[in-house]
This record gives sequence, C-alpha cells and structure tokens, in this order.
Amino acid sequence: MAEGINAGPVSAIGEGEAIVVPEEQTGTGDGIAIFNDEGQIYALDDTCSHEDASLAEGYIEDGEVECPLHSSRFCLKTGAVLCLPATQPVRPHRVEIRDGAVWVFPGEVPATP
Amino acid sequence: MSDHTRPEHVVVVGGGVGGVSTCGDLRRLGYTGSLTLIDSGSVLHDRPPLSKDFLLGRIDRIGLCLQREEWFAQQNVTVRTGETVARVRPEEGYVELTDGSRLPAEAVVLATGGTARRLPVPGGDGDRVHYLRTLDDAERLQPHLTDGARVMVIGAGLIGAEIAGTARALGCDVTITDPALPLEAALGEDLARWLHTRHAERGARVLDADVETIVHGLEGTDGSAGAIVHLTAGEPVIADVVIVGIGMVPETSVAAASGAVVVTDGVVVDAHQRTSVPGLYAIGDCSHPKDAHGNLLPRIEHWEAAIHGAARAAAAICGVEPPRTQAEWYWSDRHGVHLEVVGNPVAGEQIVRGTFGEPPFAILSFADGQVVGAASVNDPKTVRAARRLIDRRTPVTAEDLATGDLRKLARGKS
Repeated sequence: MAEGINAGPVSAIGEGEAIVVPEEQTGTGDGIAIFNDEGQIYALDDTCSHEDASLAEGYIEDGEVECPLHSSRFCLKTGAVLCLPATQPVRPHRVEIRDGAVWVFPGEVPATP
Repeated sequence: MSDHTRPEHVVVVGGGVGGVSTCGDLRRLGYTGSLTLIDSGSVLHDRPPLSKDFLLGRIDRIGLCLQREEWFAQQNVTVRTGETVARVRPEEGYVELTDGSRLPAEAVVLATGGTARRLPVPGGDGDRVHYLRTLDDAERLQPHLTDGARVMVIGAGLIGAEIAGTARALGCDVTITDPALPLEAALGEDLARWLHTRHAERGARVLDADVETIVHGLEGTDGSAGAIVHLTAGEPVIADVVIVGIGMVPETSVAAASGAVVVTDGVVVDAHQRTSVPGLYAIGDCSHPKDAHGNLLPRIEHWEAAIHGAARAAAAICGVEPPRTQAEWYWSDRHGVHLEVVGNPVAGEQIVRGTFGEPPFAILSFADGQVVGAASVNDPKTVRAARRLIDRRTPVTAEDLATGDLRKLARGKS
C-alpha cells in the first residue's frame, strides 16, 4: 500500500476548483488532480485520457469534471469516462481528510459508496 | 409515443463521430436488436485531430480511433468497413449495398458526413493540391509538411487556419489566403480580426486574394519549382504543397437514392432527425434541419452537433423523449490559441471578460437579460459556464458577465 501524500489544507482548494500534486511526488507517472465539488474532495489522474490537458483546469459540477480542451466528462468518484472524445477512464485515487489537510494515496482505489 | 414499435434491425451508415455515437446511444437506451455500422473507409476515426495532433505526429492511427475494437464487441455492434451502401428501404425492411447484397433493417441512420469542397479553378485537382477530411487525406499530406516546405493554404476558416498553425509549428514557409475575414459572421469583426492576425504574428504570409488558376508541371529537374498559384491580385505564389480548406459538401447520394427529400446542402430532417422516408434518419454533416413549419434552419457542421443528432435519432428509434436541446458548441486550435464558441456570440451586445487581445479573455453576448453566446481565447471555463447559463436561461446582468462568478451563477448561487 502506497504511502499517503499530504496535499495541503482543504481550505486551499476553493469550491469548484482543483489543485495538482505534481508527477514527481505521486510516483504514478502522472500528476494527481484534487477536486473540490461542493465540499466533497476527489482525486483523479490529472491528464485527460484523450489528449494532453490538465483535468484540474476543467469545469467541475455535479460529481463530474469536464476536460478544458474537448469537453470529455469524467466521474469524479470513479474516473469513468462519460462522453466522447475520450474513450478511456482516468485513475481515481483514495483521499482522506486529516486535521483539515487532504491526504491522497496514489494508486489506492477509493471505496465505492 | 406509446404505440412505438422498436425495430429489430438497425443499420447505421457512416462511422464518424455521429455514427459511432448513434450505436452507443441506442444501446444506452436499451435497444437490444441487431446493430450494424457500415463505413466505406478502413478505420472509424475522429476528424478534429487530423489537422493538429495527427499532422504534428503526436498521435497515430490508433489514437485517432473513435472507439477501441473491444467497445464495438461489448456493445454488440457489427462493424463492416470498406463497404458502401447503394440505397435503403426501411419500410420494406432492408439496406442494399453497392455489391447488390442486402441486410435487414427497419430503421436506418445516415451519418454519411461529406466531402471537402473542391477548388473550382483550373489546376485545382493537381498532384500538389491537398484537401483534409479523412485519414487518407492526412496521411497523403503529412510527408509534405517538412521544415522549409512552401505551403499555400487556400481558405482561412477553421480547417485552413488550423492547418496553417500546424504547418508553421512544423517549420513550413506558410502563405494563407482568404478573400474574406474568416469567422466574422460567427464571432464579430473584432475577435475574427484578432484571430486572423495570429497568422502573421506566427510568421505566415497573409493574403486576401482569390485563386484564379494553379499551374502544375513546370517543375525543374530538381523538383524545386512547385505549383504556381495565380491569384486575382498580387504576385503568383509558388508552393510545394497547396492545401484547400473552403468548406464541405454533404454526402447525400444514399438518401437521394432512397427517396428522401434532399436539398443542395443536406438531407432534410425534422427535430427528431427524421427524413421524409419513414424509418430513415440523418444526422451530422449530411443532414439539414428544418423547423416545425418545414422552413430550413441553418446547417451546423460542428463535431458536437453530430453527437447531439445521434442522441436525438437514437431516442426517436427507441421511442423515448429526445434529450434537451443544448446551445451549439465548438472549438478550434491554431498557433497556440484555444478558441471555444457557444451559442451565438453576435446575437447581442458583446461584453468583454478579461482584457481583449490578452489571453485568457472571452466575449459574452448579452441580450434581454440573458447570455445568448460566448467565445473565449484560452479561457474555456468561461464558455463552459456561459453554455450552462444559456441552456438554463439564467437571468444575468452585464456586470455579472464582465466580472462575476459565472460558475456560481450557472448553479443558481449568485
């Protein structure tokens, strides 16, 4: 089981916004985007599975993120791809809030509700 | 639609984004009958990356595919490539291929797209002249876009401008000509001019003449002379490659052979993508919508419009309510600029968000207390928020549009 990474205070991620834990820290071969959707925190691979775009810069709403380049949408909980042009999912990562800080566990699949 | 009978066999003609989406949508809506997708090409591929990432060598054939083979198997779609349809008779329950064989089909969706409009001048069909619509076109063009190659782009609309950007990125010596200011009608003069100015800023030569003739065959023995493009004004341009991007012509021959009403630019369809022939639908670039009174509406050639058409056709075939209409959206990438457009940016008063000409910035079109359109340069979030404001008919003020939190407004949390 991978070690968690402290991605900083929850308060640093505004509602509807996201931050990126850089590739050098995640060890997964991609950055991890950490999203705040109405106070819920989610983590996905940052790079869209279609072309080279940062999902952290996407439009976040209703449990989904919409890629800033071509509008493919991904489920924030599971990383499932919801519409074209992307056809492949992105990896979700488990997050935990400890003492107001976001901890992300690269490669750990989040529990399904 | 309670008396609706679902067909047992559906055939989709054309494997671009519209045709492939139709297959996925039919299965998503619970259609369990046989589903066949026929395409005359060899690869079911996406088109937007052709002018950019494919020519730049960033993605290959596999990367262009709309879906992987496993997907078609999972969706239980029979894919028949390299085959062409002659005519369809959904009322009689069949589709006839050009080899004379027949397939059962009580519903048929035409997603046949179109072909690149040919340059109607002498020499417009010479060896050095290229069009860009298919993977084959892109593979034929790509080896010519080398460092220092003299590239003449005719037409500076979406495809022409994108190819010019790609050719510059590859180090080509680019000349681009268009007698009009491209996108002026769609975006307004200011933004259209700002976008067009990027060509010169990135080192392309920009002309505004029409082409009169292209003379081929005068190459020297070292092959250095190139095609000579004679223009309505100014000196002729000598080019190694001529790329024409002057629009497309809808492919309507199957519809016409099947008895559907066809106009010069498309197969006429209603709001459910139904043609005049029962059981025959048309979507995407080959279709031309009409309103409830039978009047033709503007034809929309964008990528996402084909996806929306697919969703409506699938809903009609399955006898369920169509999805809600969404404002038209499209994008274009050239010279490092990511343009996004939604709705009609020229229908109202244009309000600038950010500083015009200094990306990221956007213009929002404001009329009767609502957003009616938007266009952004390297600021997609503004267009995505504007899209929701348009679709939700959210009341806004001019001040909101210039400086407000559009995402919150779109969620009704102003």
